[in-house]
Amino acid sequence: MIRLKKVSKTYHPNVVGVKGVSLHIPAGEFVSIVGKSGTGKSTLAKLLFAEERPSSGVIEIGGWDITHIHNRDIPLLRRQIGVVFQDFKLLPQKTVYENVAFALQVGGAKPRRIREVVPKVLEIVGLHEKASRYPRQLSGGEQQRVAIARALVHSPKVLVADEPTGNLDTLNTREIVDLLQKINEFGTTVCLVTHDREVVNRLKRRVITLEDGKVASDVEQGRYKL
Amino acid sequence: MIVSSFRVTKFAFQNFWRNFWLSVITVSMLVMTLITINILLVLNVVTEEAISLVEDRIEVSVYFHDYVDEATVGGAVEYLRDLAQVRDVETISADEAYEQFVERHSDDEDIMASLDELGGNPFGPTLVVKANSAEDFELIIDALDNPQFRDDIREKDFSDYQEIVDRIRGTTDQIATFGIALTGIFLLIAIMIVFNTVRIGIFIHREEIGIMRLVGASNWFIKAPFHLEMMFLSLLAVGIAAGIVFPVVNILEPKFSVYFGTQGAGIAEFFMENGLWIFGGQFLILAVVTIISTSMAMRKYLKV
Ligand SMILES: Nc1ncnc2c1ncn2[C@@H]1O[C@H](COP(=O)(O)OP(=O)(O)OP(=O)(O)O)[C@@H](O)[C@H]1O
Ligand SMILES: [Mg+2]
Repeated sequence: MIRLKKVSKTYHPNVVGVKGVSLHIPAGEFVSIVGKSGTGKSTLAKLLFAEERPSSGVIEIGGWDITHIHNRDIPLLRRQIGVVFQDFKLLPQKTVYENVAFALQVGGAKPRRIREVVPKVLEIVGLHEKASRYPRQLSGGEQQRVAIARALVHSPKVLVADEPTGNLDTLNTREIVDLLQKINEFGTTVCLVTHDREVVNRLKRRVITLEDGKVASDVEQGRYKL
Repeated sequence: MIVSSFRVTKFAFQNFWRNFWLSVITVSMLVMTLITINILLVLNVVTEEAISLVEDRIEVSVYFHDYVDEATVGGAVEYLRDLAQVRDVETISADEAYEQFVERHSDDEDIMASLDELGGNPFGPTLVVKANSAEDFELIIDALDNPQFRDDIREKDFSDYQEIVDRIRGTTDQIATFGIALTGIFLLIAIMIVFNTVRIGIFIHREEIGIMRLVGASNWFIKAPFHLEMMFLSLLAVGIAAGIVFPVVNILEPKFSVYFGTQGAGIAEFFMENGLWIFGGQFLILAVVTIISTSMAMRKYLKV
């Protein structure tokens, strides 16, 4: 599903994001990406949804070479990759329902499809009863679940989550990770960037550890080690 | 597409209301630009009218000697009529000239007395030649120096309106140059204001736009609201400009008839007849200008 060949990203001549990363993530996998602060985890995530372009190397998503993706094709890619962030990125003046519907609206979806899909994804994240609330009326965990619901509207093949639990307490973190696992079970490939030792150890899935922009270790059923 | 258009429209109007004062400033600047353009148009119409009024009066009177016969005069008329510069030739026969003279001076006993003293008809045939424009004067005069008639002509007389026409043109050309410069400056300011309005719109919506991008909004969906908003502001500006120009022109028109006589300067008529073209054209100008500056702002601040 995701294939990186010797991918490097340098921001400025001497600021390295990632360096020579080669990876293969098959469809349906759940990968945790860990590493110290500033080792290029977010950079790697951004390369996957084309927020950044690699300085060298090749990136393929589902057989699509996005290394030099044209600006006008990015929307197409973004509808195949769901993204979730630490800071949720919800629109405060829109309700839960509207926030989720927004992702479909801006892609030009028909109203009927929106009425179909939004309740379904809200059901998946368990927020269908809070659809008319505003983000400020929700807990952090709930807000992150709205963001996840929004990421799911296009039934993405890949879900990239950059520290989705970074702002959450243990209980909410557990809920979010459970949710991500559930989504993974439906067949979506999940890339989870995290700092959280607990999360990684409980998942018992593949762990890629970055160090200074390079892959330091890559183990199936790994544990958090640093 | 229809659903998207509706959403884009909604978005555009949100932009408009959220930056209400910015929208007001943008529209005001656009209106000012349009008003200058329309003042230039009025000036142009008035100038042309004034000049054509003057040119209407341009005529060369050609007096033949009293011994010249009808055939020669007829030949001269033919010859003149064939000149492109000649608009009309009126023939006044010797008898008519006499009658006209008597009529004009019947109150003046001295003149009548001296006319009697001369005995017979001292007048020869006369031609009144009207030119197409003031510049054609010299040519007509020169043409009459043709050896075929030169000796038959006693006198050529013309009132020199060229100078008046030149003066009118000189003055209006100066005003027009100033007006064009002003339009240019206003247009430049308008471009900058539109650019800035879009920039601020992008800034205000940066969060929304960022999220739109992440969830795969098409570039069209991101850009269209800004274009649409600016189109709407342009349309509003044209509407306001038309709403100002039409009444003002109708108020001015009777004032001009003092100078132009009953037919007036024709500005109200000009705007009535060409209103659609005039304001349609101005909308097109604004549309092009705003599309360019909106695109520039988006290229710089939206990076799509
Ligand atoms: N837009 C940018 N411009 C310049 N340098 C950047 C940019 N983004 C990241 N970097 C640099 O690239 C390196 C990797 O950053 P990155 O954000 O990928 O780290 P990270 O592993 O996500 O860290 P954290 O765990 O703190 O989120 C850092 O040295 C960072 O300063
Ligand atoms: Mg990071």
